[in-house]
Amino acid sequence: MQESTFNELADLALRNSGQHFAPTKSYLMDARLSNISRRESFATMDDLEQCLKASPNPRFEQEVAAALTSKKTSFFSQRDVIEQIVSHALPKRLELSKSGKLRVWCAGVSTGQEAWSLAMRIKEQVGSPLATAEIEIIGSDLSTDCVETAKRGIYGHFDVQKGLSIHRLMTNFSRHDNSEWEINDELRGTVYFRRQNLLNPASDLGGFDVILCSDVVGSLAKQAQRKVLETLSKQMLPEAYLFFGTDEAIEGLSDTIKPSRNMRGAFEKRSTSGETAVA
Amino acid sequence: MKHCLIVDDSRVVRTVAGRIIQDLSFTVSEASHGAEALEMCRKEMPDAILLDWNMPVMNGLDFLRALRREDRGKDPVVVFCTNENDSEHISEAIRAGANEYIMKPFDADIVESKFAEVGLV
Repeated sequence: MQESTFNELADLALRNSGQHFAPTKSYLMDARLSNISRRESFATMDDLEQCLKASPNPRFEQEVAAALTSKKTSFFSQRDVIEQIVSHALPKRLELSKSGKLRVWCAGVSTGQEAWSLAMRIKEQVGSPLATAEIEIIGSDLSTDCVETAKRGIYGHFDVQKGLSIHRLMTNFSRHDNSEWEINDELRGTVYFRRQNLLNPASDLGGFDVILCSDVVGSLAKQAQRKVLETLSKQMLPEAYLFFGTDEAIEGLSDTIKPSRNMRGAFEKRSTSGETAVA
Repeated sequence: MKHCLIVDDSRVVRTVAGRIIQDLSFTVSEASHGAEALEMCRKEMPDAILLDWNMPVMNGLDFLRALRREDRGKDPVVVFCTNENDSEHISEAIRAGANEYIMKPFDADIVESKFAEVGLV
């Protein structure tokens, strides 16, 4: 990949998703764009970039930008965070809820495994107050392809064997003849997916009791990090919790959130005067 | 160091799985069918067994049932690793006492993930 191609693609990623690519990460660009490049029969990434420049097509540009942000994910990749949400954050929110309804947003969910994992873990809370609560999980991603994969809820032989125990696989999936496994209807009724660019306001999603955004913020440019954290914090209901991936260093990136005093690993919204609460 | 017995009639599978499991800090021994594996378990019970289904002499399911009847004070973790990938076979294996199930083909990440599920790593 020529340096000029790298610069153009890095700029495209920054504009569309806030993703920051260091010059040493051109191999990552190659890997993430390989499917599109193969499909469109480009011999090199330079050809792909030339095509973007020669015949501007917002849809194609958006697709390339989304592919550049794609993260590799697996079921229960954030096992400890999911445990903290299900065992502590949701029960605490439920105590405060008058309606018995809770809403969770998995932001930047890629192909959906994180949201499905959370739904499985919640379903396992037989006999706890969560078992009778009405819990809605929204998964969002920038990539339309990822959102479609998440919505289909059909995963391959290798995907279902990473992070999922055989008991969870047998309980929550049905096997197709082609060795793919499909999420059962019981879980489907609790999880919804949609496209969302976290750089843009997400007010139409409504307010959430818990937000999980793992492995997204760390790869963004500074300004984009602040913008994304602002988007997320605006959708937090009063006293809601915001979680990131286990190893992510978030503190100090934005003045809209602060570490929670009563929930390990969580952040809460920093209240500012004159702020309007989300509905 | 934990000990894993790999039971598979394919030498290639035993070699590939052996390398992966050694990388997870296990010592490894091999058997090519269930009867041989059962003899080895009677001499020294391993911590874990990676078990194929279809093998000559004694298949994996018969071996597992026989193993679970043994009373030697140590109950090894058994992870099936087989081409029998349909729900009926998986359910039958679990009923017979399998702790986990790997569907072939597999890679190092799958073995590590499944061993983690049952607390081996």
